Amino acid sequence: MPERFPGYDVLAKRRTQSWNDQTRRVIEGRLTVDPQAHSFFDDAEWRTLQAVCERIIPQPPERQRPAPLAAMVDEKMATNAADGYRDARMPPMGAAWRRGLAALDAEALARHRRTFAELAPAEADGMLSAAQGGLLAHEAWAGMSAELFFKQRVIPDIVGAYYAHPAAWNEIGYGGPAAPRGYVRLDFDRRDPWEASEARPGREAQAWRENQRVGRS
Amino acid sequence: MARLAALRRDDARPAQRLSARILRFPVPALRREATRAARQTNLAAAVLALSVLADSGVEHYRGSFRNRAMFVPLGAAALTLAASLLGVADDRPRRHPGRDGVYALAAAVGAAGLAFHAYNVGKRPGRLSWHNLFYGAPIGAPAALMFAGALGRLAETARDGGRVFGLPAERMLAAVSALGLAGAVGEAGLLHFRGAFQNPAMVLPVTMPPVAAGLLAATVATGSRPLGRAARLWLKLTTGLGLAGVGFHAFGVHRAMGGWRNWRQNAIDGPPLPAPPSFTGLALAGLAALSLMLGPDHA
Amino acid sequence: MRQYAEDEAVDFVVVGAGAGGGTLACKLAEYGFSVVALDAGPYWRPLEDFASDERHQAKLYWTDERITDGENPVQLGSNNSGQSVGGSTVHFAMVSLRFRPEWFKARSKLGYGADWPIDWREMWRYYAEVEQALKISGPLTYPWGPRRPRYPYRPHQLNAAAQVLAQGAEATGIKWTTTPLATLSAPRGLAHPCVYRGMCVIGCATNAKQSVLVTWLPRALAAGAEIRDLAMVGRIEHDERGRATGVHYHRDGLWRFQRARNVVVAGYAIETPRLLLNSASPRFPDGLANGSGLVGKNLMVQSNQAVWGVHPREIRSYKGPPSLSLTEHWNYDDAKDFFGGYCFMSQGTLPVVAAGIHAKRGLWGQRLIDEMQRYNHQVGVKMVGECLPQERNRVTLADETDRFGLPIARVTYAFCDNDKRMIQHALGAMRENLAAAGVGELFDETDDTCHLNGTARMGDNARDSVVNADCRSWDVPNLWVCDGSVFPTVGGVNPSLTIQAIACRTADRIKALAARGEL
Repeated sequence: MPERFPGYDVLAKRRTQSWNDQTRRVIEGRLTVDPQAHSFFDDAEWRTLQAVCERIIPQPPERQRPAPLAAMVDEKMATNAADGYRDARMPPMGAAWRRGLAALDAEALARHRRTFAELAPAEADGMLSAAQGGLLAHEAWAGMSAELFFKQRVIPDIVGAYYAHPAAWNEIGYGGPAAPRGYVRLDFDRRDPWEASEARPGREAQAWRENQRVGRS
Repeated sequence: MARLAALRRDDARPAQRLSARILRFPVPALRREATRAARQTNLAAAVLALSVLADSGVEHYRGSFRNRAMFVPLGAAALTLAASLLGVADDRPRRHPGRDGVYALAAAVGAAGLAFHAYNVGKRPGRLSWHNLFYGAPIGAPAALMFAGALGRLAETARDGGRVFGLPAERMLAAVSALGLAGAVGEAGLLHFRGAFQNPAMVLPVTMPPVAAGLLAATVATGSRPLGRAARLWLKLTTGLGLAGVGFHAFGVHRAMGGWRNWRQNAIDGPPLPAPPSFTGLALAGLAALSLMLGPDHA
Repeated sequence: MRQYAEDEAVDFVVVGAGAGGGTLACKLAEYGFSVVALDAGPYWRPLEDFASDERHQAKLYWTDERITDGENPVQLGSNNSGQSVGGSTVHFAMVSLRFRPEWFKARSKLGYGADWPIDWREMWRYYAEVEQALKISGPLTYPWGPRRPRYPYRPHQLNAAAQVLAQGAEATGIKWTTTPLATLSAPRGLAHPCVYRGMCVIGCATNAKQSVLVTWLPRALAAGAEIRDLAMVGRIEHDERGRATGVHYHRDGLWRFQRARNVVVAGYAIETPRLLLNSASPRFPDGLANGSGLVGKNLMVQSNQAVWGVHPREIRSYKGPPSLSLTEHWNYDDAKDFFGGYCFMSQGTLPVVAAGIHAKRGLWGQRLIDEMQRYNHQVGVKMVGECLPQERNRVTLADETDRFGLPIARVTYAFCDNDKRMIQHALGAMRENLAAAGVGELFDETDDTCHLNGTARMGDNARDSVVNADCRSWDVPNLWVCDGSVFPTVGGVNPSLTIQAIACRTADRIKALAARGEL
């Protein structure tokens, strides 16, 4: 599929009035996360987590700076950056992840005789769909609902990490950080010169040109 | 000069008869005075055109020039500005058909713009609501272009002592100036109300120009010289207010988030720099009208 | 900032510096009382501390663990719970609406819920005071309810998402209005006007948002109040006569004690009952101020369902305050098949929240990525609906403890049949609105809730309520509750303006009682 926002890079705005120092620091921290760093999960859990992240958010292989989703999930667990509430049916956040990842691996071994990380994409998707539908009940789940694990941990933690990353912002044409400069043009079909331009059919080249200019201060 | 001075001493004579005499019996000095006032009116049109040019430039840039027609007022205002500056430099006591044509064009474009903006306001949800007057296409901006055209036409008419709609040019000029000031007050009032009059200085453009316009109208109606002197004073203050307004608005841009470094937002969303000089242009026209009526200002 | 010694009994110690406590602390200090306000969160400087980032700004939320259960477990954290000086108003959506007058007598006039012990005309005066204090930007005429004074500031321009609601309302023949918002449409003092950066719910880095942090608290400090941040109150102490003597709180790694002649609990509808329950003693074995047994009961969320769809034109709802237009039509129409009412308003969503909405309806993988590529065309409207008070919906103490060793809250919630009928009605009305505005591919977001109220309700007698109309505990005469917990009913509008109005009224009542020697 052709890019919807060709040539748009929200990071081109880093030096403009749309970003302030505190935002630069925060985003810089996110961009320098080591994609292989993990301190909370052990190696087996980590491999499974990476495989889950790749199926929940399949990023294009040619992407130069993919969002390090597994590392972001690991960081959230390691720092215990909790949500502020927990469904009574679920164990605490980190414990839920550990048990869920182990259970996915156990299910994969039981069904396919391979670990989850070794599954073909369609097989992995099938297992995740089964978890989503509450159809997994291996004893490794130890009473935790696969459905709730999927809904309350897998999805929010991975999807939340991805759409907090500039790679995702480029993909969806989000304006990104906006302080001190906000936005002027709020009406239908209006964009400020520092916003992504959408390549509607017939105006791909124009959109590309406009997207090259979003970083002008 | 002696003749002129004698006329000016003749306070009892109604102003319109006085000016009629000036124009009907072209004496070189009187013609010079008429031309001088006409050139001042050209200057008034120039200032107004400059205000419109900059204002519609900024506002239509905000509107991303989505519609090709949004370039038209820029062209018309630029032509009006050029013609007016030529008029300022032109001391011949004759109307210039080229300038006349440009001014007619400006008035026509302004009128079309007015209709266009009104249509735009009317089709927004809420129709003719306060909200759409605040944020819809401004009614005052194209009207200012109309006024620039009208002032220019009158400048040309004043050069050869012609009449407009049966009235001598200077009376028409005074009327247009007073009416324009009233409109500008309405526009400033609307937008400063939108800004909740958060700064006390924001009341100045809705209090000072009405006094000037009122005195101008009263002078035309009565021909009173004391009123004329007061009118001149207030019109001069209004001229200055228009210029000071640019300074106030520049401060307003500065105190918005990010200040001038965030000019790409604040110069558009902040108080408009080009708007206040429209008061200057209209007040200059009023002063020119008084010069035509009462003779030069020796204050 | 003036500072008080811990062993010096201040007139008032206020627990929580949000919409209720921050406002009350300001007013009491201005009336000459000595006031210390404790807050569990940090005292932010928005211009320096706030980044333009959803993930980072989670620092504003109450992220300490709480357990949720019941048929409809509610989402807390970012959804409705702040942990900052200024409370949830630091990240609220700034929607500042008055109650419909009849709601203050919901039981006698409309036949449901409970009556408030306060007359709406009195509240009208306090609403006006709060609207002035926050320089609310609002419409010149408000289409519903009795006359109200003109809002101090003019309404904001509408973004495309807000125009969609307006178009839909006009096409279906119901009234709409620009939303009265607590964010500046013009400069105020040193504060900048709004720059439409659209990140209101993750903290305003412009200081245009008129939160408690930037409105009441500077006034409170100027009047001599002390705001002590990062101070987690664990227990209210009382003497042998049953009068409160002060609060135990944790700060800088130590448990400390602040003496006070009066204690005000203003922790919002979860932390307030949690603190009262955690303060149980031999004399008050069921918790402080709990003679009625109602502390923690009648928790009311507001239903926050939405309808979303795709517009053929670009909407880019990430720009501007999230709710610039709304309709209260169904709050003022009584020909419905349910009690209570709701409003619905336009929406702005940042990417993480937007993706969460699609993920909740089951999208993940490439389908989610494809859907999110239409982010700039997505648009929706969201309700704030009046859920009825039910005793089974409640806050209790769980077996787990938090980092301070304090038992954490368990929040139990279930919609009743009336709530469900209202939600169905609202989903229909919102679909109709969007469809009429040309929005396609509509889908419902069915399980969201917002706002928390009602766990220490006010009333006319000690049997049916926790506090009286002055927010004063029936059981412990120098203990007060001043936040959303005191609401007997919740109404179909966002509660922050009402919480602040109640706080202003409470301050006036305390001043009057003190003058009569009745504190």
